[in-house]
Amino acid sequence: MAANTNTIARGEPLLSCRGVCKRFGAVAANRDVDLDVWPGRVHALLGENGAGKSTLMSILAGRYRPDGGVIRVRGAPVAFASPAQARTAGIGMVHQRFMLIESMSVAENVRLAAPGARDADIAALGERYGLSVDPARLVADLSMGERQRVEIVKLLMRGADILIFDEPTSILAPAEVEALFSVLRRLKAEGRAIVLITHKLDEVLALADDISILRRGRVVAGCLTLDQAPGRRELARLMVGREVLLSVEKPPRDCGAEDETVLAAQGLSGLDASGRPAFADVDLAVRRGEIVAVIGVAGNGQDALARCLAGLGGGTAGSVAFAGHEGGRAMPAARWRGARGLSYVPEDRHGAGSVAAMSLAENALLTGQADERGGPLLDLARGAAIVERAVRDYRLKAESPQAPAGSLSGGNLQKLILARELAAEPALLLAEQPTQGLDLAAAEDVWQALLDLRSRAAVLLFTGDLKEALSLADRLAVIFRGRILDVIAADDPTAIERVGLLMAGVAAPATADGGRNGTGACA
Amino acid sequence: MWADLVFLGQIAVKSSVAVALAALGELVAERSGVLNLGVEGMMLMGALAGFAAALTTGDPWLGLGAAALVGAALAGLHAFFAVALRANQVLAGLALTILGAGLSSFLGRSLAGQSGPRFRPLHLPWLSDIPVAGEIFFTQSAPAYLLYGLAPLLWYWLFRTGSGLRVRACGQGAASADAAGVNVARTRALCTVLGGALAGLGGAYLSLSYTPGWATGMTGGQGWIAVAMVVFAAWRPLGAVAGAMLFGLFQALQFWFQATGQELVPAWLLRMLPYLLTIAVLAVVQGSPSLRRRAGAPADLGRPFAREG
Repeated sequence: MAANTNTIARGEPLLSCRGVCKRFGAVAANRDVDLDVWPGRVHALLGENGAGKSTLMSILAGRYRPDGGVIRVRGAPVAFASPAQARTAGIGMVHQRFMLIESMSVAENVRLAAPGARDADIAALGERYGLSVDPARLVADLSMGERQRVEIVKLLMRGADILIFDEPTSILAPAEVEALFSVLRRLKAEGRAIVLITHKLDEVLALADDISILRRGRVVAGCLTLDQAPGRRELARLMVGREVLLSVEKPPRDCGAEDETVLAAQGLSGLDASGRPAFADVDLAVRRGEIVAVIGVAGNGQDALARCLAGLGGGTAGSVAFAGHEGGRAMPAARWRGARGLSYVPEDRHGAGSVAAMSLAENALLTGQADERGGPLLDLARGAAIVERAVRDYRLKAESPQAPAGSLSGGNLQKLILARELAAEPALLLAEQPTQGLDLAAAEDVWQALLDLRSRAAVLLFTGDLKEALSLADRLAVIFRGRILDVIAADDPTAIERVGLLMAGVAAPATADGGRNGTGACA
Repeated sequence: MWADLVFLGQIAVKSSVAVALAALGELVAERSGVLNLGVEGMMLMGALAGFAAALTTGDPWLGLGAAALVGAALAGLHAFFAVALRANQVLAGLALTILGAGLSSFLGRSLAGQSGPRFRPLHLPWLSDIPVAGEIFFTQSAPAYLLYGLAPLLWYWLFRTGSGLRVRACGQGAASADAAGVNVARTRALCTVLGGALAGLGGAYLSLSYTPGWATGMTGGQGWIAVAMVVFAAWRPLGAVAGAMLFGLFQALQFWFQATGQELVPAWLLRMLPYLLTIAVLAVVQGSPSLRRRAGAPADLGRPFAREG
């Protein structure tokens, strides 16, 4: 297949942008962007969050109209007034948030995009590209990987030959990633043009033929071919515009700290938000002065486990004990509703973590207010102080404490939420995917804050990012299909390999009951 | 006894037609994602317009046509606010009901108490001669037969055609529909207007067949029953008609008890039942995750759609 791509002459690009500009109010999301995409090649578009990748792609998909510049498809200038026109031009996009209707079947969703598609056609096309999904199934019942396949089938069914993938691997299990890559390679071999938007340098180096890097809405490196591409460190530098440490400095664990167990879960089982069993027999303990990471591929029950431990319900069996709450005695999981000293940073920072229409100061008071002696009145000065501290300590970029939370970018919002939760001086911080979707600079600030907290409290980190878990945590609990398969010390030299295998559900080769051994380690 | 039951069934069907027509209309609008609480107002205006047009022209069919037009026009007003201006749909719908009630009361003053043309029970060859079922369902007036045809037709349209799929997509996931190239605003506006036309027909059935003539506020809350029946039926056309017929049965029982003087079930309970049943259905569906996912409740119902950028 590799030989195949090299023999395809470049010729004229299928899609080409020249000087594309797009402004939102005072913010220029895209400035003078040039981009060429050739048939039979994968063009990787790299950039931090907020670099303007998604805006550019939304322009190509007809969702936004550019303020300036020329877009040519097959050499002819186009001006899309709607997604429908972009579709007709052969451009198809797999959005990060799938455009599927959950209460409809796979076939109905495909027919919506490609009228007249018959179930048999859908099945046959799925078979041909390794994208098989039963057309009669309800989208609500599909896994994330299957939903993505439906999205790709939709594009292929209507004959799109310029395919845009926005962070396609962020929701996939490692095995699914490999499957997606082989689909992409097959599409490439057929002569379709592919744009791959991503943060992940490994993916770029594995798949891309051409690479462009966006920074602050501008192309800082355009159309490098793979052999021209500098190493990943240099690529990362181009993305952020300064030397980036790929790992943070983790001070050795303070052995003097008492090994006081802050949170201990025993035999914990529970349900997810829709009432299905999500996790079972979880034994987990977090001590003061350490960071424990629960790591797993999305969809393995970690969301429900995090919610349950945070006291939001869902527990059905087992017990939870929290230092300083009811004398630290274990209480039945069904009755566990959180405790003073437990702070929670939810994954959904826009929905669960903040209220967009409220000011930053008000958001800073949303949790933890009950701890104060201030009585029924809102202590706005305290809220403003929390915001000010976040501006100082975590480099939160905000106009003023009175600005609405909706005006913040994802990274700044996360800093605000962290500052709020840390202001309560928690004994345990439960942080769920705290750096997901953040750019490197913001993620580093978050990591630093978590490491700082580690010296005086306990941190339970839920993450899907192996690098993050390895560089922050002292111990890693790998969750797979709702069970903790093993708990591994981060300084174990074989940790990377073992955790990676466990995340993919490959248990340690020696024992079938490796799970029990592992959970025993943290009891 | 047997004859009594057949008679009861006849009255039940007769009492259900207006609610069923209006519920079908509301169902189409809600399937496209527009909540229109103006049904009661559109029915009242339809009842008045239908009666006035029939009185003027002497032809109840022209009355039916006029009612559909007036209902559609009022719904167009709702579509203008709810879809084009993306206003709050609950408020716009309530305003429409208040407007319809007030306007029909004002315009209909001179018509109150007059008698005009009406639809009479229409005997159909074959069908009306079937024992029991024929006597119950096919001794009705023309609008009832219209309903029998319309319900399966709407079902077929919504669930077996491409344009029906696009309508449902606008209600279930407007952003997805938009990304798939559906003109969400136009689809929603057209469905709202179609829904208004059906509500108008429902109103005209009241003033041209069920209780011929015009009286202020003559719908007596049937528009609200229609809105409830859409929920009761989980947004399915045939279910909405069945729900309307259940409502008709409660109505018929009230008449029955009044006529015979023996009140087995109190009238106030019967009047309450449609709402209680709707709440019960909602509770059951919401309580079961798998039912909830499969129920037709449009996820984007009442949510104005705007493409960013």
